[in-house]
Parts: sequence; structure tokens; C-alpha cells
Amino acid sequence: MGVLDGLTPGKRVDGYLSRRGQVLRACIVLTAKLFFADPQWIIPNIIAPFIFTLVAFFLFGGQASTGSFLLYLVLGSGLMGMWGTTIYGSSNSIGFDRWNGTMESTLAAPIPLSWIALGRVLFNTFEGVINALFILVIGLAWFKVGFGFVNPGLFFLASVSTFLSLSAFGLMMCTVILLSRKGGFITNSMEIPVYIATGTMFPVSILPVVALPFAFLLAPTWGIEAIRLSALPGYAGLGTTYWTDLAILAVETAAYLSLAFVLFKRVEAYAKRNGTLEEY
Amino acid sequence: MSKAQPDLQIAIEVRGLTREYTSRSFFGTVSKVTKALDGIDFSVKKGELFGLIGPNGAGKTTTVKILTTLLTQTSGEAYILGLDVRKDLYEIRRRIGIVFGGERGLYNRVSALDNLRYFSDLYGVEPAVARKRISQLLEAVGLAERADEKVEKYSRGMKQRLHIAKALVHDPELLVLDEPTIGLDPGGARDIRNMIREMQKQGKTILLTTHYMFEAEELCQRVAVISKGKIVALDTPSELKRLVRDISVIELRTYGVTTEYVEVLKQLPNVVRVVAELDSEVQTIRIQSPLGADLLPQVTSALPSDAKIIDRTIKEPTLEDAYLRLVEE
Amino acid sequence: MKSTETASGVPLSSGARLRMAWRVFKGAFFFGRKGLIIWDSWDMWVMQIVITPIAQISFFALLSIYLQYKPSATQFIVIGNAIQSMSFSAVFAVANITSQDKWQGTLPSTLVTPANRAALFIGRAWFQVLLSAMIATAGLLYAATIFGVSFASADFLGVAVAVLLTSVAMIGFGLLISAVGLYMRTALIVANIFLFVTLLLSGVNFPVSSLPGWLQPVSWVIPLTYGTQAVRMAIAGASLAGLLPTLGWEALDGLIVMVAGYALFTGFENLSRRTGRFEEY
Repeated sequence: MGVLDGLTPGKRVDGYLSRRGQVLRACIVLTAKLFFADPQWIIPNIIAPFIFTLVAFFLFGGQASTGSFLLYLVLGSGLMGMWGTTIYGSSNSIGFDRWNGTMESTLAAPIPLSWIALGRVLFNTFEGVINALFILVIGLAWFKVGFGFVNPGLFFLASVSTFLSLSAFGLMMCTVILLSRKGGFITNSMEIPVYIATGTMFPVSILPVVALPFAFLLAPTWGIEAIRLSALPGYAGLGTTYWTDLAILAVETAAYLSLAFVLFKRVEAYAKRNGTLEEY
Repeated sequence: MSKAQPDLQIAIEVRGLTREYTSRSFFGTVSKVTKALDGIDFSVKKGELFGLIGPNGAGKTTTVKILTTLLTQTSGEAYILGLDVRKDLYEIRRRIGIVFGGERGLYNRVSALDNLRYFSDLYGVEPAVARKRISQLLEAVGLAERADEKVEKYSRGMKQRLHIAKALVHDPELLVLDEPTIGLDPGGARDIRNMIREMQKQGKTILLTTHYMFEAEELCQRVAVISKGKIVALDTPSELKRLVRDISVIELRTYGVTTEYVEVLKQLPNVVRVVAELDSEVQTIRIQSPLGADLLPQVTSALPSDAKIIDRTIKEPTLEDAYLRLVEE
Repeated sequence: MKSTETASGVPLSSGARLRMAWRVFKGAFFFGRKGLIIWDSWDMWVMQIVITPIAQISFFALLSIYLQYKPSATQFIVIGNAIQSMSFSAVFAVANITSQDKWQGTLPSTLVTPANRAALFIGRAWFQVLLSAMIATAGLLYAATIFGVSFASADFLGVAVAVLLTSVAMIGFGLLISAVGLYMRTALIVANIFLFVTLLLSGVNFPVSSLPGWLQPVSWVIPLTYGTQAVRMAIAGASLAGLLPTLGWEALDGLIVMVAGYALFTGFENLSRRTGRFEEY
């Protein structure tokens, strides 16, 4: 058996962007394949948002069952779903490797760990979109209305921006989980508070003043505002304009990413000092 | 010019490598310093098949982890292909392939093909090239027909072969294999060893750790014996065996023998060492002694009445005997 | 050697078997804490007793405020969620108690008789009942202090009895869910789904009467539904006597659910033993 007789030679991929693009794509694809091989793990992560939305359905009950109400609910639900998968998916992104025995393979890769984690987080956050689709289907079946967006183009932009800001947040949470013993506690406790603080089902303006700083520091809060402004007719919101919202979101997302990359360097240094990320 | 001029014929260069683990008490004060590695020096030439053997906890895995840039050393230097393990991490990783023994290191819920595609991307292989290499490698390791099946359905031997394919997909110059045949049945282990030989013929440098002495003897051109964090011997297998040329080995196959008999044997004069494997039905006892065959009368007379010697042979000492002497001193 | 014989093969009298069961029960009761992984560290305690209940109550309370509900409606929601928050610990604890290795690890296989298993379960479960009751009580505390629910005319005895009974009944309900989870081999998911479904069906956020007619009977299978109703009545001032009808139904429901759960559970265990499938969650 000639193992290497004439193994095809080839140039390596070497550019900064092309390397990272290649790794991102590979991680997204792998996470997607792993997900479809075993989709059931997502169910706990989307059950909460799903049920919360159904309860909201009933509570809203008396309000007009117009298309824009349905849209409001679907959006809120989709965002809760994405939060849910972001929070759990971020721990799953590298935590999964630990559980799966591939931690060493991952740490031995010739690319900074943060890029591998990012690829995974991106797909995991995306799974939350599934929750939105569930609610949409149920809503359409129940209320039998269609709906129109105020501005589909801007809506799409706001959605993608929010999705990216959630992913950046998830990446940051990933390091928290890896670096801290209490990481799991932090992520588990965060779920509902974050539904509240980012105004998924009701505006942050009704929160007690103490909570507002947290709300404003969470980039998705602004993304949700922008989404609603571009989708719901007559939505007043916090009084900011669409572009202001996106600008704040961009700045905060950049901050999350920077923090995440810095923290990942610490994770890698820690792993190398101790030879493992298995326990801390 | 760096003070260490990397010799281009040396693939691995290790100087004064130490690794300490500090355990801290609850209050943060240092309670214990364990030296996993206590000053290791060795070098491996390009194209060599070099073995690292030693008991568990001796420092084999620590050495491998430092050389593969997964662990930082406390002090000392290590160069892989002329690159410093502390500085040129990512470059080193792209030019070496690592094969872990055991079950870990693969994504079980997806196929072998998916695994290889993922790792080839992770290691920066151009996709068009990767496609060709993957099918060549799957063919070479004998997994081509089952490449689309989920890895969780593979036998242990198949997974190990996949590990090798995965380590080769980026065409590394140097391979590190950490106990690659552990837990494999004899047929599977033989296949792996054949592949290792093949890879060496192709000009790859190979660092192999194992605790199967016959494997090190069979495959390696040179062997370093590690014990308690230090290298106690480094030479070719035949030279190492000369360390124990003063003894012969009586190998007994017995039936019904207990540890008492082994203890009696150990007490006999001129017996250097007794290694016994009593767990299977047909037991094996190896007695090292300079007397060789002359010891047989005493060996047989000490045998209890309900036990039997089925077979006895006088053998030349093996690398295992040399190893045992080296690590027990 | 059968489990009802001593080592020398002499059959045990029923008195001896009962005494053995009592010993198992005592052991389980005093060491019950050790078996519950989710309570191993302080942060899990904080999360279960403080953070999640407050967060959950806040979410729905704020939602009702946004929708400009009357304060009495908000109060309805606050109390409902306060009590519901105990369900998690009840159901997951049962899953914990009954997972395979717990049975096999604690009792040597020769001692695994039905009486001993029941004793083990009850011994462990008592601890869990107290814990769940504690969580619900904490929830009511938050209701009073943070969310401004008035306990001025509350009948505390009634509240206490309702909370304890609901605790016990939900353990039984947990057993039923664990049985289903065991069969479907996805206990975690099943437990999650059921727990969140109680938010919809147990009169937690809105009265059961708001649900579609065909769905309402399902609500009345869940012990929590009676529990929330009883606690609300007690807080409003109903005496223990006034609560008895509701509590009575809850007790009956709890019993049925527990028996059904135990039967299903043993049935599925036997099934998996016969078909050779042992699925750990």
C-alpha cells in the first residue's frame, strides 16, 4: 500500500483574509453538518422563546389581530430565539469540542482559536431563526393574515446587523465560559434577563431606570429598534432614528469583537500554560 | 543571526527542556512543584524514525505536547524544522502532522470525508488540491469505500487509519504519533505499523511514542528512553540491547502459577529480574539471569505441584529487558 | 439468589423486607442531598432560587404592564409565575433521582426490590419536595417585596399547605414525565417542553378559561393548575376549609399521576431491559 506515492503537491492558502475566510467557511459547514446530524439538541434552546411567545399571544389576545401585530410577535420571537441559541450556542461552540474529545485537535490548529469559535457561533446563532419561522407559521395559521414591511431593504439590513451583533456577543460569551468556572452559571442565568433587557417583547422604556444602562449596552437592543422601525408601520420606539440605531449597534459590536479576540488570546495562552482546557 | 543556527538536516532539536507544574494551595501559595520534564536533550535527523519510550507519567506526553506547540516549556529550547516552538507556532503546526492514539480527535457524527475536508481547510490546503489528496489518502488507508459513512460506525482500527489520513492531508514534513497503536487488535496495529514504515520511506521524519517495546524495536532507528522526566538512554535498539547482553532470558509458559511462585523466583540467587503475566490461562514468565539455561533446575524445582510448565525457551534479551533495567534504576 | 432471599437462600419474611425498605429509606433521606447533581454548587442554588424566578416573573409582569392590564391581572401573573418556578426543580430532580446509574449505583443489585426502590425514591424525593417548596416560597417573597403583591388578607396556613401539596404532586408529575422521557430517550427535551407548557396551560399567566375549550381538560391533569388556583385563593383570604375542594382535587390528581408515572416507569424499564436498550440521558 503506497500511502504517499505521488500525493498531489500544491500551494498553501496563505493570505490573511483568505486563510480566515477558509477557516470560517469550514467551521460553519462543519457545525451545520453536526447540527443536521443531531438536530434535537436545539429544542431546549428554542422551547423557551417559543412558549414565551405563545403566552404573549394569549396575553396580547385583546389587541387587534392585525398583520403588524403578528409581525411584532414574530420579530420578538425570532429575536428571543436567536438570543437563546446565541447564549447556549456560544458555550457549545468550543465546549462541544471538549465534550466530543476534539479539544486537542482544535487547539492544535494553525489558526487562532477565535476564528474557529466564530464560525461555530455564526451558525449556532442562525439556528434561532428557526424559532422565528415556527412562530410565523403558527401565527399565519391562527390569524390568517399576511403582513407588509415598511421597508424590506432596510429591514434586511437591520436583521443582518442584529444577527452579526448577536454573534459577536456570543463569541465574547464563549471566552467567558472557557475562562471562568462560573461560565455556565452566567450563561444560564442570562437568558431571561436578556429577553427583557433587549426589548424583545416590550420596549425597554418600561424598564426601571436601573436596568437601562444594561439595556443600552447590549448591541441587539439597538438592532431590534432598527428592525421594528423598518418593519412596523407607525412604530415610535425609543425616539432614535434607524441610522442612529445602526451606528450605535456597529460601535458596540466592534467593541464585543475586540474584547472577544483579546480574551481568546488569553484562552490560548492559558491552554498552553496548562496543556489543556479540560479543567480549570 | 540567532544564537542557535538551525542545522537544516535536523528536524527536531531539543535542549535542556524542562517543564514544571506548580500546584497552589487555596490561598495561592505554592504548595508543590512537580517536574514533569527535568532537562531533556535530543535531536532527530530529517527522515529519521525516532522513538520515545517510557513508563506512564515519565514525560513522553509532556515532551510531545511541547514539541507540537500545545504546551509551553518552563525552560529550555525546542526547535521543529528550525522554528522555535515558542515563537513560530502556526508555521510549525502547518508543517507537522499529529496522530493521537485512542478514540478522540474526530467528529463522530459526520463522515470521514467531512472530517478530512474540514481539517484540510483548517490547515490551509487549497480546496482543489485537497479534493485530490483526500481521495488518494482514503484509498491509501483503505477507507475509500466507507468514506461517506459516519465515523461513529467505524471500528477502532478504521478510526486510527482515518487519524493518519487526517494527519497527512496537508502533506507535512514531520509526523508525531502519540501511541498510535494503543487499543488496536493485532491486525489493525500491524496495518498502522506498515503505514508508518511507508511514510518513513517517503522521506518523512517521524517521532513515535509507544509503550510497546517490540514496536519501538521493530520500527525505530533510534530510541530515547525517558524515565521520571529525564532521558536515561538514547541509542539504536541494538546498542540499547547491548546494555543487557550480560543476561539471558528464560521465558516460561506456565499453567496454574500464582504470584507466590514469582516471588520465589525473584529470591533465587543470580536472578536479576522477573516479569510475569499471570492473567491469561497460559501465563508468561520472563526470568532475566546471567546463568541462562543453568538456572533451569532451580526454576523447575521451585514449581508448586499444582502448576505446570508447558514450554521453556532461552532467549536473547530484547529492548524490553533493556528498558526495564533502565527505568528501574 | 433472588432479591427476596438472604445470601444463604432463605426467603425473607415480609417483616424483614419491610425493615430493609425502612433502612433504605432512612439512608436515602439523610443522604438525599448527595444524589442531586444540580444542587452541587452555590451558583446553581442562586440561579434556581433567585435569578430564574425573578427573571421569569419580571418578564411576564412587565409584559402585562406594557399591555396596560389592570394591577389585579399583573398580580395574577406574578403569583402564577412565582409558583410555577418550582416546577423545574421538581421535574428535573425526579429525572435525576431516577436515571439508571442512580438506581444501580446506590443499591446493590440484589437489593433492588420494588419496596426498596420505592423507599429509595421517596427518601430522595422528600428532600426535593422541601426544596421545591422553598423555591415557591421564595417566589412568593419576591411577589410581596419586589412586585408589590399584597399579603394583607392572606391565609398563610392555606398558602403553606397549597405550596407543599403542589410540591409533592409535581414530583409525581415529574415521575410521569421522566417515564415518557425514558421511553422517548430524550428526557431532557421532554422535560423542557412539559415545563414550559405549564406556562401556557396551568393558569399561570391567564386563567384556564381563556384557553380554547378542547385544551382545557389537559390543564386539569397538571397538578400545578390546581396549585396556582389554590394559592391565589389563599392569598386573597380564603380559609383552609375554602381551599379544600381544590386541594382535594389536586391530591387526587397528584396520586393518579404518581401511580401512572410509576407504572409507566417500571414498564418502560422492563421493556428496555428486555429489548436490551439502556439509554442514559
